Amino acid sequence: MNLKKVSKLKRNDFKWIYLFLLPSILVFVLFNLIPIVTVGVTAFTEWNGFALPSFNGLENFTNLFANRAFWVSTKNLLLWSFLAAVVHVGFGVIIAFILYEKPAGWKFTRSVFMIPNIISGAAWAVIFRFMFDNRMGLFNGIVRIFNPNFDVQWLTVSPYAFWSVTLTWLFFAVIVTLIVLNELLAIPSSLIEAAEIDGATKWQIIFKIQLPMSRKAIGTSVIASITARVTMYEAIALTTNGGPGYDTMNLPLMLVDSITNLKYGTANAVGLLMIVYGIVTLLVVNKLFKMNEEL
Amino acid sequence: MSKYIYKASKIFMYLILIFTIIISIFPVLWVFMSAFKTNAQIFNDPFSLPESFNISGFQYVLGNYNFGLYLKNSLIVSLISTIVSVVIYSMAGYVFAKFDFPFKNMLYSLFIITLLVPAQAKAQPIFSLLTNLKLTNSLTGLTFVYVSLGMAMSMFILRNAFESIPDELNEAASIEGASFWQKFWKINFPLAKNGVVTSGILMFLTNWNEYFFASLLTSSEKVRTLPVALQFFNESFSYDYTQLFSALSIVILPGIIIYTVAQDRVQQSFASSGVKG
Repeated sequence: MNLKKVSKLKRNDFKWIYLFLLPSILVFVLFNLIPIVTVGVTAFTEWNGFALPSFNGLENFTNLFANRAFWVSTKNLLLWSFLAAVVHVGFGVIIAFILYEKPAGWKFTRSVFMIPNIISGAAWAVIFRFMFDNRMGLFNGIVRIFNPNFDVQWLTVSPYAFWSVTLTWLFFAVIVTLIVLNELLAIPSSLIEAAEIDGATKWQIIFKIQLPMSRKAIGTSVIASITARVTMYEAIALTTNGGPGYDTMNLPLMLVDSITNLKYGTANAVGLLMIVYGIVTLLVVNKLFKMNEEL
Repeated sequence: MSKYIYKASKIFMYLILIFTIIISIFPVLWVFMSAFKTNAQIFNDPFSLPESFNISGFQYVLGNYNFGLYLKNSLIVSLISTIVSVVIYSMAGYVFAKFDFPFKNMLYSLFIITLLVPAQAKAQPIFSLLTNLKLTNSLTGLTFVYVSLGMAMSMFILRNAFESIPDELNEAASIEGASFWQKFWKINFPLAKNGVVTSGILMFLTNWNEYFFASLLTSSEKVRTLPVALQFFNESFSYDYTQLFSALSIVILPGIIIYTVAQDRVQQSFASSGVKG
């Protein structure tokens, strides 16, 4: 602590400082601290919201593990996380590298790439629901130009439903692009010029300088994209609602379902698993991308 | 040889860009165009331009559904939660940036670490909290939740904004006898404009678009926001697509307008929202 600064502070200032922090502390306690503790504790209880919660050990979790909806949700989460980390982030990074070259129309591309992220997720989901419609949808309309007899019910038939939900987000990676592009632009141009003078090829510059130096941005993107898969809700609730069967089920859908059915213990067990999955992702990606080290 | 590779990679690059442009624009364009078409046109030529400027869909939707009400609800909740957040998180960001006090680092870390916990995971406790406060099914309750959702991100952006303001300004103001509040509100807050606008836009758009908590915490039509209303159009417009697309257009238009007006700001806001880790 900077002692000189503190000695200058009047006692009166401390009163103001804590007064300024008070609203944020209230928000923290009411909407973060208490809820997180509640989730952590009542995940191990049976609780319907009326009676007091009673401890039942790991029963909520064993029940979940015996539930097919949960296994499909887990499988979906893992597959979606993989697709998010590889295809979604990969696509965003490629666009960032292309925009970095400033080809004709790069500003326009950057502008319109943003549009899907500006629109509400609920509206986007409804738009996709109708794009995938068999009779009037754009998707089958395009395919029927080439194959007039094409007939697929995207949202209600396995395995198309899973991939329809996936397509609502897979290529819309503008945030990845923006973060990585910022990091690329921050690399000193003298470094790249020096490499060029030494005879490095374009590929060598990309793989030996630009990619390693933007790895923090890429790692951050991977974490953010996987977290978005953990919490994905309206893209499913407003299209397939988890179906057909449990094909597009995920954890938030199960959580809302548990709240609606007054199974608060189960809801918080699901919530706790979501939190743990997010933190594990953070730690693993941090390690993999060496995000805390300087090269 | 290398000339061909160069050319090929250039073509490939433009193909990717064109793909990106098409997938980003086409869905929205399709919605806007279809809003002016008749049902038959929507079915028969999905790619054609509307034949006439048919606004019957808009008229019907605005006349027969409480669209104005949903629009008003969305505006109230998003605007108030944004203003409240910007003020209270600016106050916190300001003292974190400018002063040293006991438990400062611990407190800041606690605030920021909440980013690790997805809001959805806390749905049940938040739901019960609002039930106990008798604030479910009310715009006030939803506003509180939205204020809380933006805490860590806003504080992070705003602390950085205040840190970039030179300390000498406060020292000079102290000599002039300015009070603590005056120094914050009259001197530092206006100078932190960039951070304030960035976090404000981010909050407004996030809250304007929010669906999860709005659908969980409200049920009556009186307090319905636009994103939740979409769920009901989904059901009630199953056969009149002109109306459906008119309704969709009305929901997505405000976001697009804000983006068109303040494009750089919005991009900046969204880029900073990604830099959580």
